[in-house]
Amino acid sequence: MTNVEQNILTALSNKLGEKILQIQTPQPRKVFVRVNAGVHRDALRVLLDKDESAGISAITGVDLGEKIELMYHIRTHGTIVTIRTEVSREDARIKSITDLIPGAIFHEREVTDLFGVIFEGYPSPKRLILSENWPKNLFPLRKDAEITNIEDKLEKVTVLDEDKRSSDGGTLVNIIMGPQHPAFIEPEKFSLKVDGEIVKEVKPRIGYVHRGVEKAAEKRTYLQDIYLVERICGICNACHAACFCQTVEAIMGTKAPPRAKYLRTVVLELNRIHSHMLLLGHAGLEIGYESFFQYMWRDREPIMDMMELLTGNRVIASFSTIGGVRRDFKEEKIPKIKVELATLKEKMSFYKHLFDRDPTLKMRTKNVGVLNKREALKLCVVGPVARGSDVKMDVRKDEPYAAYDEIPFKIITYNEGDSWARLMVRLDEISESIDIINFALDNLPSGSYRIRVPRIVPAGEALGRVEAPRGELFYYVKSNGTAYPERVKVRTPTFSNILSFVQIAEGGNIADVPASFVSLDPCFSCTDR
Amino acid sequence: MLKEVLSQIFRKPATQKYPEVKPKVPDGFRGRQIFDIDLCIGCGLCARDCPAKAIEMVDVEGKKKPLFHLDLCIFCYQCAESCPRNAIKTSGFFELASTNKHELVVKPQINLQKRSEA
Ligand code: SF4
Ligand code: SF4
Repeated sequence: MTNVEQNILTALSNKLGEKILQIQTPQPRKVFVRVNAGVHRDALRVLLDKDESAGISAITGVDLGEKIELMYHIRTHGTIVTIRTEVSREDARIKSITDLIPGAIFHEREVTDLFGVIFEGYPSPKRLILSENWPKNLFPLRKDAEITNIEDKLEKVTVLDEDKRSSDGGTLVNIIMGPQHPAFIEPEKFSLKVDGEIVKEVKPRIGYVHRGVEKAAEKRTYLQDIYLVERICGICNACHAACFCQTVEAIMGTKAPPRAKYLRTVVLELNRIHSHMLLLGHAGLEIGYESFFQYMWRDREPIMDMMELLTGNRVIASFSTIGGVRRDFKEEKIPKIKVELATLKEKMSFYKHLFDRDPTLKMRTKNVGVLNKREALKLCVVGPVARGSDVKMDVRKDEPYAAYDEIPFKIITYNEGDSWARLMVRLDEISESIDIINFALDNLPSGSYRIRVPRIVPAGEALGRVEAPRGELFYYVKSNGTAYPERVKVRTPTFSNILSFVQIAEGGNIADVPASFVSLDPCFSCTDR
Repeated sequence: MLKEVLSQIFRKPATQKYPEVKPKVPDGFRGRQIFDIDLCIGCGLCARDCPAKAIEMVDVEGKKKPLFHLDLCIFCYQCAESCPRNAIKTSGFFELASTNKHELVVKPQINLQKRSEA
């Protein structure tokens, strides 16, 4: 146990004493604390008092049969403290924590939809993930949920959740973006209220692409789940697979061999580069700077080719597996990769210069969509969005996985908190990633790249985190000792970040909405899963 | 930026002229899998592990052999990895678009030519 964990536990037991029912530290940097329902708020307060930058990573529900277990995963000092508590199945109620952590709003609503747990004191208990006409008492992630002949059970809904009477006496104009909207590639709905050009209120409604991946994962073997979770998001697919494999490896108590860790790192960083370039290009498009978009995407192409060269496919890598990676790098491919990376690095300094100088880019992004550090912490945003608001968090440093503990790199932060800062974080991170890949390729350990593992995973549970291109990706896997997982929880970074859109859009100009929205790097298919 | 834009006029396009010019895929590309019936022992491991349920075990002369539904296949190559006999081989063939999904069903066929040679 490290000092950090010891300190957290001391603080908790000083304040709560007898109320702590059980303490577990099954993995490094992971602490599980069991308390009764109700005490979870006290435990949370202790953690928040101790660390002002503590935030919520996820709330996981697990169906235990008679009871429903709730786990509040709090990140603090690079450690995940899980406060676990139980509520009864029949009367599943617990006090909401949104007054303590505003960033928990969507996490709670998701649990309400999928497990039927009511959070008392929650400000607006509406559907978030499921559709309005979904049967009232059918909670998909409960084990006894019968999801057959669903068409016959659907509720009759005539009025959708749009407020019919507006509270403003009709002076504000309602603009609905989505679910189908020309500016969106994927469906999600944002209701904006505008006063002239100024956005006064934003109401997000997600869930239009909810595919039930978590439920589907319970019906497949661990091996098949790797390919399933990869498809949560095409862009950061390698991160999902690596995070899932890493979490299952933690349950099994095995570790991927050193070479596999380096190989994973290379693919994860390639993934980050192409995702950031995709976003930067997309930002150019939304700003109205189409040549920037085209050149960014043209320069991204060699990265896709590298992915294809190393993994066998330009998009879905299918590279990580439980116990290592699925293929080795051939030595003769490495020089080619290094040449391409060197070219890209030069281009990146050109783009950076452009961002510093170009009046169009600056006018559309500087002081637009500002999210200050306090708000960023309050809303528990992750990844480049947090780092653009001067929050120094990066799972690669906080809780190194793969080979990140052996590779030197910097965490990029900017303190402006505007769209420009968020885009600059990504631009700088591309250069960092290029250096990481070069270092990893130069220092590739020899040896095997994979160990064979059994198909059956021993009973247990584990948490896993990976810094995906969009921020902290969080997995919780529980095994019941068979080849099929009992529960797979996926908290994607975009799910944590979507709330900050409300913050950055309100008070801004309606014309800036698309550009500042894109600077958050939204991805709806992974928000909804 | 203007310089970059102007210089682009004299460069050749970044796009490829597909389908006139076919792109070269690198070795190790995950294209259509090639099944070799003579190596297969009919164990069914490929069908069990296939995440897309794209493999169906069908009867061929009294033995179970895999039938590939390429319209369901996600080209992950787990089947090739799971096969204990290396009966499923990799290929770089990717032009599988079709207007009829029944064309994408690959039935296991007895290799008559090989048999007559033997
Ligand atoms: S490549 Fe993957 S999806 Fe396709 S048949 Fe093989 S195992 Fe199934
Ligand atoms: S795993 Fe190989 S040997 Fe077994 S049925 Fe499939 S193709 Fe045949």
